[in-house]
Amino acid sequence: MYYEQSRTYLRTPQSGAVLDPRRYLSVVDRVICKYGADRSKLINMLQEIQREFQHLPRQALEMLSVKLGISLSEIINVATFYHQFRLEPVGVYVIQVCFGTTCYLKGSSEIYESMRKVLGLRERENTARDGTITIEKARCFGCCSLAPVIMVTSSDGSERYVHGRLNVSEGKRVVLDYRSKALMKLKGLKNE
Amino acid sequence: MVKVYVNNNEVEVSQDALVIDAVEKAGYEVPTLCYLKGLFNEATCRICVVKVNGKVVPSCRFPVFEGARIIVDDSELRRLRRVNLELLLATHEIKCWSCVRKGMCELLSLSKRLGVEGIPVCSECPLRGRSCLVLKGFPCLGPLTVAGCDAECPRRGSPCIGCRGYIMSEDVWVRALEEFYKDNVSLNELKSLISFFWSYLPQNLYRLVREVSNVEY
Amino acid sequence: MSEALELGSGTRKISELIVRVPLASCTLAAGASKVLESIEKALGKLGLEARVKKTGCMGLCYLDPWIELESRGLPPTIYANVKPEQAEGIIRRYVEGDLSGALAVRSEASGFKGVPTLNSLPEWRLQVRYVSRNCGFIDPESIEDYLRTGGYSGLKKALKLGREEVIEIVRKSGLRGRGGAGFPTWYKWRVAYEQRSDVKYVICNGDEGDPGAFMNRLLAESDPHRVLEGLIIAGYAIGASRGYIFVRAEKPLMADRLEVAVRQARDYGFLGEKILGTDFSFDVEVYRSAGAFVCGEETALIAAIEGRSRPRQRPPYPATSGLWGKPTVINNVETLAHVATIFQTGLDEFTKYGTERSKGTKMFCVTGSVRKTGVYEVPIGTKIRTLVYELAGGPPDGRSVKAVQVGGPSGGCIPADLLDLELDYETLQSYGAIMGSGGLVVIDNTNCMVDVAKYFITFTLAESCGKCLPCRVGVKVLGDILEKVASGTATLEDLELLRELGESIMRSSLCALGGTAPNPVLSTLRYFKNEYEEHVVMRRCPAKVCSRLVTYEIDPARCRGCGQCAKNCPVSAISGQPGKAFKIDTSRCTKCGQCLIICPFGAVVKG
Repeated sequence: MYYEQSRTYLRTPQSGAVLDPRRYLSVVDRVICKYGADRSKLINMLQEIQREFQHLPRQALEMLSVKLGISLSEIINVATFYHQFRLEPVGVYVIQVCFGTTCYLKGSSEIYESMRKVLGLRERENTARDGTITIEKARCFGCCSLAPVIMVTSSDGSERYVHGRLNVSEGKRVVLDYRSKALMKLKGLKNE
Repeated sequence: MVKVYVNNNEVEVSQDALVIDAVEKAGYEVPTLCYLKGLFNEATCRICVVKVNGKVVPSCRFPVFEGARIIVDDSELRRLRRVNLELLLATHEIKCWSCVRKGMCELLSLSKRLGVEGIPVCSECPLRGRSCLVLKGFPCLGPLTVAGCDAECPRRGSPCIGCRGYIMSEDVWVRALEEFYKDNVSLNELKSLISFFWSYLPQNLYRLVREVSNVEY
Repeated sequence: MSEALELGSGTRKISELIVRVPLASCTLAAGASKVLESIEKALGKLGLEARVKKTGCMGLCYLDPWIELESRGLPPTIYANVKPEQAEGIIRRYVEGDLSGALAVRSEASGFKGVPTLNSLPEWRLQVRYVSRNCGFIDPESIEDYLRTGGYSGLKKALKLGREEVIEIVRKSGLRGRGGAGFPTWYKWRVAYEQRSDVKYVICNGDEGDPGAFMNRLLAESDPHRVLEGLIIAGYAIGASRGYIFVRAEKPLMADRLEVAVRQARDYGFLGEKILGTDFSFDVEVYRSAGAFVCGEETALIAAIEGRSRPRQRPPYPATSGLWGKPTVINNVETLAHVATIFQTGLDEFTKYGTERSKGTKMFCVTGSVRKTGVYEVPIGTKIRTLVYELAGGPPDGRSVKAVQVGGPSGGCIPADLLDLELDYETLQSYGAIMGSGGLVVIDNTNCMVDVAKYFITFTLAESCGKCLPCRVGVKVLGDILEKVASGTATLEDLELLRELGESIMRSSLCALGGTAPNPVLSTLRYFKNEYEEHVVMRRCPAKVCSRLVTYEIDPARCRGCGQCAKNCPVSAISGQPGKAFKIDTSRCTKCGQCLIICPFGAVVKG
């Protein structure tokens, strides 16, 4: 249903913090310098932009479209097609719940729902309103022997944890743990 | 030049021709929708499917090859085309009474041709805009009855009574009932008309009408 | 290279103790990096001089994380499910000659001090480790290790032959694509070879999007050079100048290891200009894709490398017009590993396994409701029963196998009474499943087949690229009907519609994704019609999975009366007093399942 996603993305204004436009421009420029103004490297460019911002900011994509001379919708077509790309900003920790066959059969959807419930997420919302945790469904990690399994990554990519053989109550506990961790981090940032 | 057989008729076409070219050269016609000759042949709508050596392929994209045996029409192909058109209609927001195409609509002509019931009488009705009977408050069944009669009754100013039966799709009913409600057509007035096929209504539609109207049979 | 060999064997003599720790995505997830840390600490503490060797995974995932100790005078010994705090004790005891707690020893002869040999374990004995022979044994980031096990000898042999002879050998081997439909590998090569073009490409497809299948990842993480060698041979056979290895960015370790392998192969002259003194020049790039299931489809994979999305109608086939309009051969990771191994070991070693029509071995991932989850390599034609019960140990206590799902979202379910079927391309196809990449998910009696079908349809719906109509809308409609079945509002006509629509989608879709998407529905409908009918007619889910069709009750013995459920019930169907057991009013309950999720004590039960 990626076309629905792209439609809403095109219609709604940018969510999340808006940075200085020069910051987007510098990243886009750097990316274009690295790969050249080459349409076929679009996926690599988007990967690079996402590495910088943890998602694909609307402004950056607009600049990319102007610089490459291709339409924004074409870029968004590619961005919504592949799973790696996120159009929304993420929380401090991203919790990916595996929805591979084995994990699903062993109850990962219940764990997913309960985690969302703990954070009080509404429908179509993936990130907690305090910006701590993002919960996503993920494709099979290939750790089926640990099913049901979740992977937690910090949004800057420096930390990565895997929790396996979960059940609903453990899942809730894990979410709360990471939430308090994330709150500490956010607090630390503010103090700085 | 390569030789192909369209419904067992031998045709010679050039090397880089498409199946649809061969079919047309043999004097047959394939229904198409997304295909625009020379401009667009991404084969996305799958309406123009034919059989080449027993395999179902889109004729607008598939290249010919020597000795290809093409079947333009059989019961399975007709079914596939019909199913695909029905799927297309399932995602189509049918509001023919306010559509800008004014019945000049490829979907309508294709559904007539393939025998798909999904487009209401309104699509053929010349009374649009201010002269629409529903808008005037008349209990016209046009928004939910099957097109194909060329809207004989509304054309002459009398409301549609649904000779050709109702459309099975729930979405069409929801939109039609909304339209009636908006334009103050009382469902009690419609009741006598709907009762024409009341007892044949499937469960889901029956429930829908009950919910909207409190009409008891 | 001969230097390297001597150097390698030299270091082996120096070190007294070798510790093998598997570092693959799966073992790392199970905590292998912590085990590695604790081993290094323990070695320092015990004052032992040892060589810690980072190997790949051997595929017996239920053992993760395992370690292997080897020392002079003692057989190499495998310890399973090692916790970081156990490492010190294990090493100390092993050095002292006490093998208690060990799983198995890797020796040809009989067991050692009561520890069985690896070969005596059924999950190892019944396997034929042909392409996975090095997995878990060599260091994947060391080309010397690979060379020592006969690596790149296949390439050397192939380069001495003419291109047509190479294709002829692959034809004689009867190797078929291990990634899906089992298309003969040699045929693609031949077609691409015969094309007149100055530029040709070979692509190694390591996308592997099937949930529940990870043999490609395991193979490429544990033995990347084997895949690379196969790719170079394929490149030579068709006369390509450039190869791509297509890997998901979500599998970073796989991509990293392959990149290391490419670099090392370049240093050793297996890649680059004029390989091994011949006039064949070839280079490889590891392409990190952004991940989409449809990239398993050849034309979509090519589109991804070109920076676009979505597949296109075939023909023209990639072998005649593929990447940037040039002839392109796309082979699966496992297929290419097979190619390399065939050239290393000779034809007979390969063709002695398998059935008349499909030769050789295949790696299968057995997951789901089994005791020993893992990747098992068995000859094609092995019975499903052997794989599920003898190798993977059957379902846990109290469960029984209901069906086996073969081939991922494009495959189908084989019911329990057909478990004696042989796993080969044709047999599976005739029973409504496909071999696919070789994922077997064992479904037990606690799973509902309607729910399983719904799961796969939801998966394909999310993965459908939306280009052609039958897949984009048809799969959505299939999902809607299944949702109706699962919520008990469907009629028997809906089941008929499900079948008819599924068959239409398969016939008229653009690519293989839509062409196989209804398979899970059609096969469950074929073998478990009674379960569907029970949902429709009796409005009951026999496995108590479909939440709309079960009743919720509170077990008074477990309820502590916290009132959480009553607070969260959207229709106020739960009542009671704090401290006492609460009750659900079944007449008002809308079966949303919130209370089940919210209850901290697990007191809400499905009835």
